[in-house]
Amino acid sequence: MTRSLPLTRRHVVAGLASLPAAALLGRPAAAQAAEIPIGMVLPFSGATGPYGPDMKKAAEMAVKWVNDAGGILGGRPLKLFIEDSETNPTVGVTGTKKLLEVNKVELVGGFWGSPIALAAKPIILAADKVQMVSCSANAVTEGDTKGMVFRFQAKSTSWGPAGAKVMKTIGAKTAVVLAQQNPFVVAMIEPFKAEFAKLGGKVLDVVMYNPDQPSYRSEVEKAFGGDPDAVFCLSLLTDFVSIAKEVYRGGFKSKIVALSIGADAEGKFLQAVGPEVANGIYHLQPAPPLDSPSYKKFVKEMGAAPGTVFLFAGNAHDQMCVTALAMEHAKSSDAKVWAKSVFEVCNPPGEEVDDVVKGLELIRAGKKIKFVGAGATCDFDARGDQINRSFLVQEIKGGKNVSLGIIT
Amino acid sequence: MISYLVTVVILVSIAALVGLALNLQWGLAGLVNFGVAGFVALGAYTLAISAPHVGWLAGMVLAAAVCAGLSMLLSLLTIRLEENYLAIVTIGFAEIVRILLLNLGELTGGALGIADIPRPFAGVTPAGWGDAVILAFALGLVVIVFAFSEALVRSPFGRALRAVRDDATAAAALGKPVLALRVRAFAIGGAIMGLAGALHAFFLTYIDPSQFTPIITAYAFMAVIAGGRGSNLGLVLGAGSIMLILEATRFLKDVIPGVDGVQLSALRLGMIGVGIVLLLILRPEGLVSEPKRRFADFFPPESEKA
Repeated sequence: MTRSLPLTRRHVVAGLASLPAAALLGRPAAAQAAEIPIGMVLPFSGATGPYGPDMKKAAEMAVKWVNDAGGILGGRPLKLFIEDSETNPTVGVTGTKKLLEVNKVELVGGFWGSPIALAAKPIILAADKVQMVSCSANAVTEGDTKGMVFRFQAKSTSWGPAGAKVMKTIGAKTAVVLAQQNPFVVAMIEPFKAEFAKLGGKVLDVVMYNPDQPSYRSEVEKAFGGDPDAVFCLSLLTDFVSIAKEVYRGGFKSKIVALSIGADAEGKFLQAVGPEVANGIYHLQPAPPLDSPSYKKFVKEMGAAPGTVFLFAGNAHDQMCVTALAMEHAKSSDAKVWAKSVFEVCNPPGEEVDDVVKGLELIRAGKKIKFVGAGATCDFDARGDQINRSFLVQEIKGGKNVSLGIIT
Repeated sequence: MISYLVTVVILVSIAALVGLALNLQWGLAGLVNFGVAGFVALGAYTLAISAPHVGWLAGMVLAAAVCAGLSMLLSLLTIRLEENYLAIVTIGFAEIVRILLLNLGELTGGALGIADIPRPFAGVTPAGWGDAVILAFALGLVVIVFAFSEALVRSPFGRALRAVRDDATAAAALGKPVLALRVRAFAIGGAIMGLAGALHAFFLTYIDPSQFTPIITAYAFMAVIAGGRGSNLGLVLGAGSIMLILEATRFLKDVIPGVDGVQLSALRLGMIGVGIVLLLILRPEGLVSEPKRRFADFFPPESEKA
């Protein structure tokens, strides 16, 4: 029994013709030996896609400053490679692999979204490189991190107590938690309950919902129906848009405290629902040092209006700056060596510096510095978590965000 | 570089396994399954939950068995429905799986997922060779499943399935047990998807519900359509070329100046879409069309018998 393979000569020729393209893959990125490759995995598509472009812009800006000032380690420029995570852990993993194996990066930064960071973590650690994340789930810095995982973000557990303090400030005695089922949000709930109880409040109910539901009506009715003083809405942008509209339609009177990643999202929430629906919503997020000159300069360089609150972009900027400073301090681009220097350039004591170029000069002059970033003050505990992160509370009034102050 | 290629080949293997399974269900038996992602997720989670207790091999067997069992039940549901309703039922199934995985926190870790999934031979693998073991494993599985599928196609069972696919009424009139054939085909496909899920869990060692989005289903259908519905060889080529295009386009922004990541991310997926459309226009039967088997292939004339 013979059967001819339906593979014709044309197929073979087409296959051969594609070989030169395949050869491109083999070209090592380290053609210019002096460059120090670093990488980032950022979302450009999928649910968190809206955040990627600003993070990319901020990171590239910081790298450009360093390179324009002559690079680090005696004139070596940084070379930044960025991969799209598509908001999908599997894609994030292949992007990470590509950065590590093809571009030979010393750092894989970025990481909006804990599942992607968690999936990439074992690979980055196995390669003995540094991982810097901008996501919240506690698990990211738990376990054996070899001291090479750094979180440029407030831990989930610290968001909860901040929310409880906002509840007290607005005079809420009873609250319901309405939360999306996701690792970042789930970890906030228990710390919120504990802190709220301590402040004399009572959590009446916790209502969970799944991401990407077509409608949130029943959850909204369950959470707001009991008429609590306030509802703590732990939602991201797309779901919070639907929830806010549903609450408005239902005419519920409870106050809403939300996360800025849902209720602001760098202006996208207001664009989506309009000022009337958004009116009176409180929201909080880990604050960048809003009044610091470094942050103001950052906002200006990003081309945004003064007073814009960037969270993730600032963190991306800080990741690049800290990497450059730590490498210079360690006098090495070897991740295992400079990872230890992160603490040296970020934690006090030392001269406070908010400009990466100035920081590099001071390090070369042998001074001890303490870097203050555009996303946070960048102090790290031994596990690589940022400490001293304060939260900015805002209220939406007449289609604008009005700052109500900082909670520490 | 090599290690990155290993990653790509492992992902191609997983996609090929999923595609082979879908080819069996849809290509050979004509049963549309839009719940592929759900079965892969189920396989991955069954393995991740059971492997620490019963070992990786038993975990894999369990993953295949659970998926086969549920596939069977699911296809039985359609006993009184027209076959297109199976497609709707499977979409619902994938959603149910996703929501259960997300909310059965005690068992599945909820949105946080499951970390530190043990790999096969982890104890005896020299450092740095972990992915190579998974690669060997993945390729082995693809070869076995491919050989199995090819054997199935040539068997009387495969012949009967094609008959059912092309005209169920005629097949029934000839005394073929249509329902039993469909249930079996669906169960075998489900088992293979479960194995693909297990492989995915071994490879990533961390799984969470957001990894099993409907895009897995879409890629599987693309692979079957691009490769040629009903042809296993075409399917492997189809799965391979889709993953290669997806991964190779990553390099465009490094090589071509002026193309940046933000534009590329949109272009990448668009290019796949355009590619599929072009392929369907220029070569509607896929890269490799289903071989037209003649009577003589199965029953050679006396004169040709050795």
